[in-house]
Amino acid sequence: MKPTTRRSFLQTTGLLGASAVLADGLLSEARADKPINLAGWVFKPDTVKDYVNVYNQKFGGQVKYEAIPWAQYHPSMETRAFGGDMFDVMYCAHNFRERWYENGLIRPLDDLPGIDELKKKMTPQNLESLKTKDGKLAGLPYFTSLFTLIYNEPMLQQAGIKAPAKSWDELVEHSLKLKKDKVSDHPFLPNWNNSPSGTMPQFMTDAFSEGANVFDAKNKVIVDQEPGVARAMERWQKVWKAELVNPEVLTKTSSTDTHRLFWTGRYAYHTNHSYYLKTIAGEPENSKLAPKKAKMTMYPGTGQTYMWTDSYTINAKTKNMDDAWKLTRYLGGNLAGDWYVQRQWCLISGLDNPYPEMYEHPEIIASYDRWVDLKLLRKQYEKGKVIAAYKEPWYSEYDVKAVPIVHNMIRGGTTVPQALKELVKLQKSLE
Amino acid sequence: MASAPPDRIVRPVLAPGLTARRFRLSERSFASLLILPAFLVISLVVLFPLAYSLWMSFADVNLLRAAGPAVELFGVRIPLFRYVGLQNYLRLFADPNYWDSFWRTAYFVGAFVFETTVVGLGMALALQERFVGRPMMRSLLLIPWSLSRVVVGLLWIGILDVEFGALNGLLYKAGLIESYISFLKSGFSALNVLVSVYMWNQAPFATLLLLAGMQSIPVELYSAAEVDGAGYWQRFRHVTLPALRGMLFLILVVSTVNGFLMLDLIYVLTMGGPGNETTTLSWLGFQTAFQFFKFGPGTAILYTITVFCLILAVIYQKVVFRKLEAEQA
Repeated sequence: MKPTTRRSFLQTTGLLGASAVLADGLLSEARADKPINLAGWVFKPDTVKDYVNVYNQKFGGQVKYEAIPWAQYHPSMETRAFGGDMFDVMYCAHNFRERWYENGLIRPLDDLPGIDELKKKMTPQNLESLKTKDGKLAGLPYFTSLFTLIYNEPMLQQAGIKAPAKSWDELVEHSLKLKKDKVSDHPFLPNWNNSPSGTMPQFMTDAFSEGANVFDAKNKVIVDQEPGVARAMERWQKVWKAELVNPEVLTKTSSTDTHRLFWTGRYAYHTNHSYYLKTIAGEPENSKLAPKKAKMTMYPGTGQTYMWTDSYTINAKTKNMDDAWKLTRYLGGNLAGDWYVQRQWCLISGLDNPYPEMYEHPEIIASYDRWVDLKLLRKQYEKGKVIAAYKEPWYSEYDVKAVPIVHNMIRGGTTVPQALKELVKLQKSLE
Repeated sequence: MASAPPDRIVRPVLAPGLTARRFRLSERSFASLLILPAFLVISLVVLFPLAYSLWMSFADVNLLRAAGPAVELFGVRIPLFRYVGLQNYLRLFADPNYWDSFWRTAYFVGAFVFETTVVGLGMALALQERFVGRPMMRSLLLIPWSLSRVVVGLLWIGILDVEFGALNGLLYKAGLIESYISFLKSGFSALNVLVSVYMWNQAPFATLLLLAGMQSIPVELYSAAEVDGAGYWQRFRHVTLPALRGMLFLILVVSTVNGFLMLDLIYVLTMGGPGNETTTLSWLGFQTAFQFFKFGPGTAILYTITVFCLILAVIYQKVVFRKLEAEQA
């Protein structure tokens, strides 16, 4: 047998290597030239990895996904952009889109192929909320959500209450009865937590449900001129004073923590984001109110509640625009005609999206049926009300600094008219 | 016979024509040369960020608009942003929120330092005594200190919660309360919860330091005091406490700095609420920088904390060592 020399060894391995590379190139789909970096906040990162893998296999992408903790996501993205890191496609919460757009971090999507078709498929309110102040589309939807009213059916039945409250007066009346009959220590659980997703979105929701506005057309706070806001706040004071609300909801650190309290089955009514319906009523491993012991009912009053849309955005400096847009359409649009990613979020987490046609899909209908009356939820979405004030540069600071004013008012530290005037003054001071 | 160390180190001649005298370095210069690499690294990772953040407190910072003057460091462009002088500090001192947070922080730090020192000293005195299981107790003592503060926060939520808290359950079953207590309902109560939880987490470290200090006190001092008829408290007052002066100084400084900087427990337990009644300076600085994206005012707030810590450290030094210096004089 001929001995293997170093030269022949190198020749053989070189040939084998070259054929492997060629074979890979011939047998697999064409791959993108450059990798695309996708950044998102941590929410079910394994689900994201799964659909990123599907994309890489099906569309020949080279997507690298990085999950960043939610609490520091936006500051991290800004500091990393400052340090020169490049993420081609990024999640962006509604209240950061304008800032990122105005500072040149993200680009508008209006000139990209296929965008008009997607715009037509979106509900007009969501489309409006995705636009910048100058009317450009800043992102495609990751999800949309709004405030809903959820009730604990077994508890109401136990107290002899036949139907959930249809008005605020009825809700307060039910709560007083449940407390008096010692069925519940704190029957009402509003989302008054101390985070930006808690007290102030709940404030807007209850104002809207009273037919009131919080901001005018120029995005100025006008709560001191709206009798509906005063009515809602007087009710908040009343339920607090009557000890119908768990006092520690004011120090809960997130909406997630708040909704977990409802899992215990110790509360009758809860107001929170729609995507918690699934964990409350659809996950028996977590919630005592699953399956479907907790139910959604239409929000009282006008039924209008605060709605927002978080998004996928494209970096203005991406060097791989075609692939970045392709990935964005896959994530927030309908690249393959099957709404794959949007559907996954609906099925896995009950995260809704602004494309109504999605909800005609039999798989979606069957899935939602396990935790909520889908028709009722869609009816609630028709009442969703978006704002434009979060596009103002002062909004984030107002949103945080308004919470102590409202908490103080709830606890009777100030009167309702005083607190509403303070909110107006706060907004003016930040302009 | 040991020779005296040379006061100069002679470097070898490297090339013909150059005299040895030209390459002779003093001991001080040679030592400086040796520590130069370490100094450069420290400058890069400590001094530069410190100076840069101090500069930011005098600037109008928008991370997304980093055009304008900049410095280059190893090929990395570091923007200098727009200098605004004392504006960030002046606005801060005119903001009632800042002063509310300041007084809250003063209370928090005062209560925390007091509780940590007293409890740490008490535990150290107890663990200094001989009893069965002392080694195990000394080891167990370190568990609260070794826990991450996020875990500590979650643990105490489980203990103090108004609906399912273990403490409420215990008190209720013992007949000591008629209904469950909400420890986080009022701001003052929530602030005291934060003090106590942080003390629970940090006091073991103080105990550890004080125990080490106590073990270095010569037994003869106690024997002599006993012979002189000193009781337990007199021995503690006249032997133990003076010998622990150095350790107490260290504990006071470390606890004060930790108290001023405490952020993570607020994040887990209260988010600065209810209202803003548990908002301390560190939380306000964090909010300003990372929620309002005002990095200039945010760093200004955090630098005022540094100044307060330095002032307090000087005061502690004066108070703790005053008597010692007087005795030595």
